[in-house]
Amino acid sequence: MASAVIPIGSPVSESFYPILAVFLLTVGLVSTASFFIYEVTTSKFNRSLGREIATGGLASLFLGFGSLFLLLWTGVYV
Amino acid sequence: MASSMPRSLLSVSSLLCLFFALACAAPANLVLTKVDRKIDLSSQIVRSTTQIRVENKGSDPASELLLALNSAQAKSLSYLRVTTSEGKGKSKSQAIVLRVLPAEAQSPANVTFYSVQLPKSLNKGETVALDIYSAFTHLLTPYPVEIGQSDVQLVLFHDSAHFLSPYPVKVQATAMKVPSFRVESFTKVEPSKISDGEIRYGPYENVPALSYMPITAHFENNEPFAVVKELEREIEISHWGNIYITEKYHLTHAGARHKGGFSRFDYQSKPSASGASSFRHLLARLPPRAHSVYYRDEIGNISTSHLRSDLRKTELELEPRYPLFGGWQVTFTIGYGIPLQDFVFKAEDGRRFLNITFGSPFVNVVVDNLVVKVVLPEGSTEASATLPFAAEEALRTKYTYLDTVGRPVVELTKKNVVPEHNVHFQVHYRFSSVAMLAEPLLLVVGFFAFFGACIAYTHFDFSISKSSSSYQARQQREEVLDAVQRIQKVMNERAATSDKLEASLRDLARTGNVATCKAARKEADAKLKDTNKDLKAILDSLPASSRSTVLAKVDTLMQKEREKQEKLQQKHTVTVEAYEKKLSSKEIDSRVAPYQQKLTALKQEVAELFHLLDD
Repeated sequence: MASAVIPIGSPVSESFYPILAVFLLTVGLVSTASFFIYEVTTSKFNRSLGREIATGGLASLFLGFGSLFLLLWTGVYV
Repeated sequence: MASSMPRSLLSVSSLLCLFFALACAAPANLVLTKVDRKIDLSSQIVRSTTQIRVENKGSDPASELLLALNSAQAKSLSYLRVTTSEGKGKSKSQAIVLRVLPAEAQSPANVTFYSVQLPKSLNKGETVALDIYSAFTHLLTPYPVEIGQSDVQLVLFHDSAHFLSPYPVKVQATAMKVPSFRVESFTKVEPSKISDGEIRYGPYENVPALSYMPITAHFENNEPFAVVKELEREIEISHWGNIYITEKYHLTHAGARHKGGFSRFDYQSKPSASGASSFRHLLARLPPRAHSVYYRDEIGNISTSHLRSDLRKTELELEPRYPLFGGWQVTFTIGYGIPLQDFVFKAEDGRRFLNITFGSPFVNVVVDNLVVKVVLPEGSTEASATLPFAAEEALRTKYTYLDTVGRPVVELTKKNVVPEHNVHFQVHYRFSSVAMLAEPLLLVVGFFAFFGACIAYTHFDFSISKSSSSYQARQQREEVLDAVQRIQKVMNERAATSDKLEASLRDLARTGNVATCKAARKEADAKLKDTNKDLKAILDSLPASSRSTVLAKVDTLMQKEREKQEKLQQKHTVTVEAYEKKLSSKEIDSRVAPYQQKLTALKQEVAELFHLLDD
């Protein structure tokens, strides 16, 4: 085989999967909580859609990547 | 001793021999000056190594050489490799593998020709030495066909004493290695003899072309006849750092069929005398750093397996649920993960490729039908396989976790696979690392859809009847809640203002700067006035119907709060005045004390009311 052949590995070192999963999911769940707290404590009239989308978007971003690393950590290589 | 095999077979074979002799017409004037054939019969796979020396006696140069196999052998031929060593002498380092094609030359019935492409054409008088290595499956037939638990397995092997070739052979010899000393019979073709577990035929001299001298050996062979009827290997690549391999086996014992009952007691108490041809272990050599190994079947996990691993290899020894006797079958699945960086590489042209072994990791098994599926990551393109031998190739699509458009699958199918096929093959494909983000983004979109649904649910009004009393009550409650929240907000602002005022007093006590303190007072007064207006506006906006419920509470709160603010203002005035008169600190304290007391009490009350409002 030619010498210019490079082995391909994961873009993120596999030893970081647990810590990444825990950190991202924690942040994700905290922002989910803040989203729902905001949803139930504010009344219909002074709820701001921008803030809802921002909190929801942030939460889904962290939860999405967090659950990906959780899957990878537990051996479900997607 | 040849009487144990059917006579009719012999006569048919000799007829065939005659027929060959008549039909043959050597394609070129080649002569095999020496043929040395070694046939290894010690396992279920018949492996034959033949060294031949070819000489061109004719005047035309020859570029191909024909190899002949009888139809039974051609049918069970699994692996054929012809090599030639360039250098003279013993050094075989530069063995060149020659191309072998199915021959176009017309062959007599019951004979199949293979054409070997010589590295350079053979001129008159030149010679070349070739090594022919071939492996055959299912060529040993058990005889008797059925045996009991305490019997040994005897097998028959049919071949020709003469090397079957379309060319005349000058000198030839054949040695057959049998696995045990127990040989029931073998056909004698003088000179032939048996010694040290080897049946030797020859040397024979000046044998004409296509001479076929049928022989039969009948001997004991208790090696495991482990045949995998159907093997499906799925190699799934994930660029997140892993390759997962799942192998589904349908394993049979292809030896002499088991007859009568099976006694577990005999089997375990007399292991040497019982079930000699059965097997209970299988050994798989997995790649190094294999992890997450499992071994299960339809029922569940099978616990009888052992895994040993070191730096160079991982060995998996597994026992099926029961020992396998002739004709018995078992199905199971094994799976393991291997690190991505050991098997997937980036080539110079930017393509990526998988480099992994083809066949089953089990030692000494024959696979009748092997399907290798290489599941590439989603978003891969231009997938193609490179194999050192022929196999059917097909492109499919598979859907697994977090897939949208499906993963391309390169499916390779090959029949009659022996351990010799367990060599590396490559699957090339193009893949961009950005495509790896598709999976997490799918998750993100999924979660966002959930949040979006929540937002929509809280924003839209889903009630059917807009006039029912419960709906109106809810509506009213919402409005009151809203007003209360706004009041709370304003109150908080006011509290912050008074906090600031108090802070300015503390600053005064420390620095004695009256001017800044006055400025703070002015600011605070303005703020309180503003917020007063706000509060009034909020209360006015409340619909009359809902006023009564909240109003009492809010009123008391507001009264107390106003009182508190007033007291604070008074305290502020007194203190500032005291400072202006340059009174001693003791006197200031005594003057301020009554206001302070009242203020603390009011603060408490306001805080309590504020909490009440929450309810």
